[in-house]
Amino acid sequence: MASRLSALGLAVVVETGARYLLDPWTKHHPTLVSDGWLRRVDFLRRAIRVAADLGAECVSFFSGALPPGTDPELARTRLIDALPQVIEEAVARGVPLGLEPEPGHVVERLDDALALRAALGEPETLGITLDVGHCVAVETDDAATCLRRAGKLLVNVQLDDMPRGVHEHREFGEGELDLPATLAALAEIGYPGLASVELPRHSHAAPLIARRALTALQRAAATAPAAWLELAVKEIRADPARVRALLPAAGREVGRGSLCPSRDPQGLVHGTVEDAARAQLLRALPPGTLATELPELYRYGDDAEKRGVLRALPDLDPAPEIGLPLIQDALRTNDIRLVAAAMGEYAGAHLDQHSWRHGVLKCVFVGVPLAAVARWRERVDAELRRMVTDYAEECRAAGREVAPDAHRLLGGA
Amino acid sequence: MRIFDPHIHMTSRTTNDYEAMYAAGVRAVVEPAFWLGQPRTCVGSFTDYFDSLIGWERFRAAQFGIRHHCTLALNPKEANDPRCVPVLDALPRYLAKDGVVAVGEVGYDSMTAAEDDAFARQLQLATEHDLPVLVHTPHRDKVAGTTRSLDVIREAGLPPTRVLIDHLTELTVAAVRESGCWMGYSLYPDTKMDPPRMTKILLEYGTERMLVNSAADWGRSDPLMTAATARLMLEAGFDASDVDTVLWRNPVEFYAQSGRLNLEPLPGPEPGGASFAGNSVLRGTRDARDATK
Repeated sequence: MASRLSALGLAVVVETGARYLLDPWTKHHPTLVSDGWLRRVDFLRRAIRVAADLGAECVSFFSGALPPGTDPELARTRLIDALPQVIEEAVARGVPLGLEPEPGHVVERLDDALALRAALGEPETLGITLDVGHCVAVETDDAATCLRRAGKLLVNVQLDDMPRGVHEHREFGEGELDLPATLAALAEIGYPGLASVELPRHSHAAPLIARRALTALQRAAATAPAAWLELAVKEIRADPARVRALLPAAGREVGRGSLCPSRDPQGLVHGTVEDAARAQLLRALPPGTLATELPELYRYGDDAEKRGVLRALPDLDPAPEIGLPLIQDALRTNDIRLVAAAMGEYAGAHLDQHSWRHGVLKCVFVGVPLAAVARWRERVDAELRRMVTDYAEECRAAGREVAPDAHRLLGGA
Repeated sequence: MRIFDPHIHMTSRTTNDYEAMYAAGVRAVVEPAFWLGQPRTCVGSFTDYFDSLIGWERFRAAQFGIRHHCTLALNPKEANDPRCVPVLDALPRYLAKDGVVAVGEVGYDSMTAAEDDAFARQLQLATEHDLPVLVHTPHRDKVAGTTRSLDVIREAGLPPTRVLIDHLTELTVAAVRESGCWMGYSLYPDTKMDPPRMTKILLEYGTERMLVNSAADWGRSDPLMTAATARLMLEAGFDASDVDTVLWRNPVEFYAQSGRLNLEPLPGPEPGGASFAGNSVLRGTRDARDATK
């Protein structure tokens, strides 16, 4: 089967709903949160082995709904107990996992999935599956925002339409999904995986509905801004110098504003829509040109372009002698958006401890949330705590409030 | 009354000017790159200036409720200095930026071969970047300079609808009108135009393709000359719609050809907390009122 898939050029994801498979009387049972959850673990491990044989993109799974009369805390404990075994198998077989938030389940929303992932210590193998219809049905943010928030964690995407508040998989156009914006978000974050139409109740008219879905997808993909971005990426691949004109144009073409407006209104933590588009343009540069092009793009960039370059650094991973001067320049400014962008993963990995401490203190001082500072938990040290303590004392002496992030730095090591 | 000043050098003006302009109805401006009075001696001096026109000045204007745009170029006077000419190699990067609505000021100062060359190269850049062009006409030998500019534009094959010829007088208006280019008048005390002469020109030639600006800079000049002209137009019998055509609709139509005009209303001047690169005009706290939005 693996060779047949490969011959046909088909990618595959292993889904694990298992309706009446493990229990002939109860749909989808047992789940990870019901009695008999070990059987579900066993089933998932088997699915992982199958996925490895098939060369599948990932194994996708859900938590299960809370069985009537079950304590939600118990359900959570079961997930925490069960998942390490599944993750262990996935690591051993090299198969990514996609945890799918499912309406009505214990893990219902993206936030639930992210919280569970955090509780498990953010294992690299554990990614996220998002059904964009589910986003319309149960999320506060729209589907495009959810996709951007899931970002690099995304391993599997299911496409379908849905009305707000109703869990009913519908054809495109029969719900409230903004399909062009959704596809644009996928393009922006550079999602490399499979995005498949999921209409489980429509098999009776499959060929017709598949054709309609394809037409809707093609139509949506042809509309800006995804079309602009795709074209721009192609242009840069063909002629890298074009990045000098296209990078400044990104804000005008794809729009601006926070990627995650409800939680991060200024885009200080997750960046902005234009930052994400710019990262994609920069990724299109041949690696050999980065050493000369990046410093120039930063030097001649306006504030928004500079921010875009900084936020793309972890991805591009240029040599420290190229990337660090840009970080240091940004940290010399007092533009909170530049400072926030500078203190991300690249600075977390490469910036020397002295400069990094001063960067963190500057964030606390100018009001950049600690959430924008990568690796602070592992890098915070006695000297930084001393600096923050002194700063807090200065605030108290002046009768000013001590920022909550200062307390977190002092207590949260 | 809403006013769009299509040519004003705000870098040389004070925050009092911004407040007075807002009070007089100015809601949008274009700041052309030009000579600074003190000659530049290197390319870096230009690029820092360009950075401030697309960054700090745009931000500063936004704090006073005014949308700021700019036009960028090597100006005719400094096109004669070999230390400055290499800025033409850096210019393409800047012509791609937000808020850049034309190539300019280009044209002639003393009508030298170096000016010919810089003018031609920058008309080419305008075509490549799909931007309109703002042409400065010389203070000395103005009629000959204007005619020669029109010839160069015609030879370059630029559509006249994408060219604004500035600093016109009674003696140059007819030729420019005939060419199909837009006509700009700088209401600049002593050396250029004044409101009574301007009103006479409008009475004679009508309001079509006519733009009025203050060209206010570091010299003796007045950023409210646009409003003064508007008042005089009304006294001379023009109606509010004519005034709006000259002081808003025409400049908007011309610069909108760039596709980069932003006329979203901004809150007016008030002690706010905005800052650019951490520096607040009002020395307030953070939370940027973002000039790019």
